[in-house]
Amino acid sequence: MSPLQFAGRSLYRQPARAILGLTGVAVVGALLFDMLMLSRGLIVSFRDLLESTGFDVRVTATEALPGLGPAVADAAAATDELRGLPELAAVVPVRFGGAAVETRDKKTRQVAIIGSETRRRGEWRLVEGADLGDGTDGGRPDMVVNRTLAREEALAPGSIVRLASTLPGREFRVTGVVEFPFEATGESMAGVTLRGFTLAFPTARRDEADLLLVASQPGVGTDAAVAAIRHARPDLHAFSIDEVLERLRHAEFSYFRQVSFVLATIASFFALLLVTTLLTVSVNQRLGEVAALRALGFSRRRITLDLLAESALLVGGGGIAAIPLGLLLARGLDSILRQMPDLPSRLHFFVFEPRALALHLGFLVLAALIAAAYPVILAARLPIAATLRRESIS
Amino acid sequence: MSAKAAIVEARGVSRVYPMPAGPVEALREVSLTVEPGDYVAISGPSGCGKSTLLHLLGCVDTPTSGSLLFEGRSVLTMREEERSRIRLHRIGFVFQRFYLLPMLTAWENVELVQSEAGMPAAERRARTLELLEYVGLAERAGHLPSQLSGGEMQRVAIARALANRPGLVLADEPTGELDDETGEQIGDLFDRVNADGTTLVIVTHNPALAARASRRLAMRSGRLAASPAMARP
Repeated sequence: MSPLQFAGRSLYRQPARAILGLTGVAVVGALLFDMLMLSRGLIVSFRDLLESTGFDVRVTATEALPGLGPAVADAAAATDELRGLPELAAVVPVRFGGAAVETRDKKTRQVAIIGSETRRRGEWRLVEGADLGDGTDGGRPDMVVNRTLAREEALAPGSIVRLASTLPGREFRVTGVVEFPFEATGESMAGVTLRGFTLAFPTARRDEADLLLVASQPGVGTDAAVAAIRHARPDLHAFSIDEVLERLRHAEFSYFRQVSFVLATIASFFALLLVTTLLTVSVNQRLGEVAALRALGFSRRRITLDLLAESALLVGGGGIAAIPLGLLLARGLDSILRQMPDLPSRLHFFVFEPRALALHLGFLVLAALIAAAYPVILAARLPIAATLRRESIS
Repeated sequence: MSAKAAIVEARGVSRVYPMPAGPVEALREVSLTVEPGDYVAISGPSGCGKSTLLHLLGCVDTPTSGSLLFEGRSVLTMREEERSRIRLHRIGFVFQRFYLLPMLTAWENVELVQSEAGMPAAERRARTLELLEYVGLAERAGHLPSQLSGGEMQRVAIARALANRPGLVLADEPTGELDDETGEQIGDLFDRVNADGTTLVIVTHNPALAARASRRLAMRSGRLAASPAMARP
């Protein structure tokens, strides 16, 4: 009978202990798995969002992250200069602003407006109708709106949107409904051309861009594109997606990383404590049995393997059950966390990665080994004669 | 010196246990030779050192002083792994509390020690069947210990002790948990085991069981009070 079979029988003999152990490890393991997914979830999800735009470099005026610092002055000249670099395939100036839109009941609604020169990459995804055109319809510039704004204001291609924040109220013609990669749940957003943006914000400086979105030439690579920009325009600041994420990792997202680290440590500790306690109690209940086996000639190695196998079955069984449980729990927690205001609706906190699964399994193997250590030492060092004598007296 | 090569030979062995209140001398210069075919019973009051002597003879423990030879080799110089191997292959143990593994059937309990000794599966099956028939429990082979009576559990334990064809079987109060009638049946079984060539050393309080032995030894305060080579009455 192999140690694994032996351990299986041992657990089967004490179903309450086995169920308690498996359930405990499954619950704690699910939490551990979730924390592993959380530790990198935001970064992975944010990378997906950044990559979905089709631009791999962001250029800003200062070290501040895109959208958080001052705008790039002389944007047209900077755009033209960068477009001349052979390492770059596309350079798109982008502007961000907030405007009040007149609602159906003659009230106002705050709308985030993005001004962009072109839509041939992924600044937004067309859901219905047509994208922005270059022309205007009776003096009304084109506008695309997101689904929230379209739904709330019953807008469809052909509808007119009137801004309440300009005097007189500037009107835009809706050409289509789109999805913005970074739109928050419930947030009203609209996209216009750069010319449309200056009409929507007449007081804004004309030749500025909050951000230049850059796509590197295929085959050249992001790093070469960033280096070329830094060389050509040392006054500007170019960030690759990796660099943006690295800064987020050490700043905005570090809170979640720390929380997940602390909770993962606590979860691992409880898993260890649970399995160690169960195995130690089990060994203590069976001291006579273990001593008898040793007297019958079972080696220390065999006793060790039996206990390791028992630990592996408890931790392995519970750990495997922890995966679907963790995924289910992650879905619930993710939906709660995503209700935080101003978060992109496509951003997720818990993201499944093979790496998280591999780490989870690695932690479990380690937990099984460490959890078995004390009971193994207890059993392997058991004084056979003294134990048999004590057991026969008791 | 005996003409036959001794299975186990203790010469002036003592065993002292360090205790918080001071060392306790459980065995005091005990000398005993067990030869092939012997049927030895050791009796004496509780705490006189009977089990300690049995554990030394069975290579479970080592003496504090004196010499102990198992089949001519000094137990004191053996490493724990080697003593473990000797216990597995050359010695069988029968305990007062049986110590059958509760999650294994009678068959599996007998087979387990053979498996640990590396016996091939076919040989194990044949040997297990032979032994369960020998102790009269072939029809209870698939029963768990909890489904067996005390006497039946002890018979399975005896089958387990014989599984690897040991030269020596040691029994510590084998009838201690049994009623008189069942104790008699176990005594009969031990008689048969010895008659079939297995050397037996039994520690017992049971005078009826001790009376079956060809050598009866009495212990008192860690010493063998008498060690006559007695013929079975």
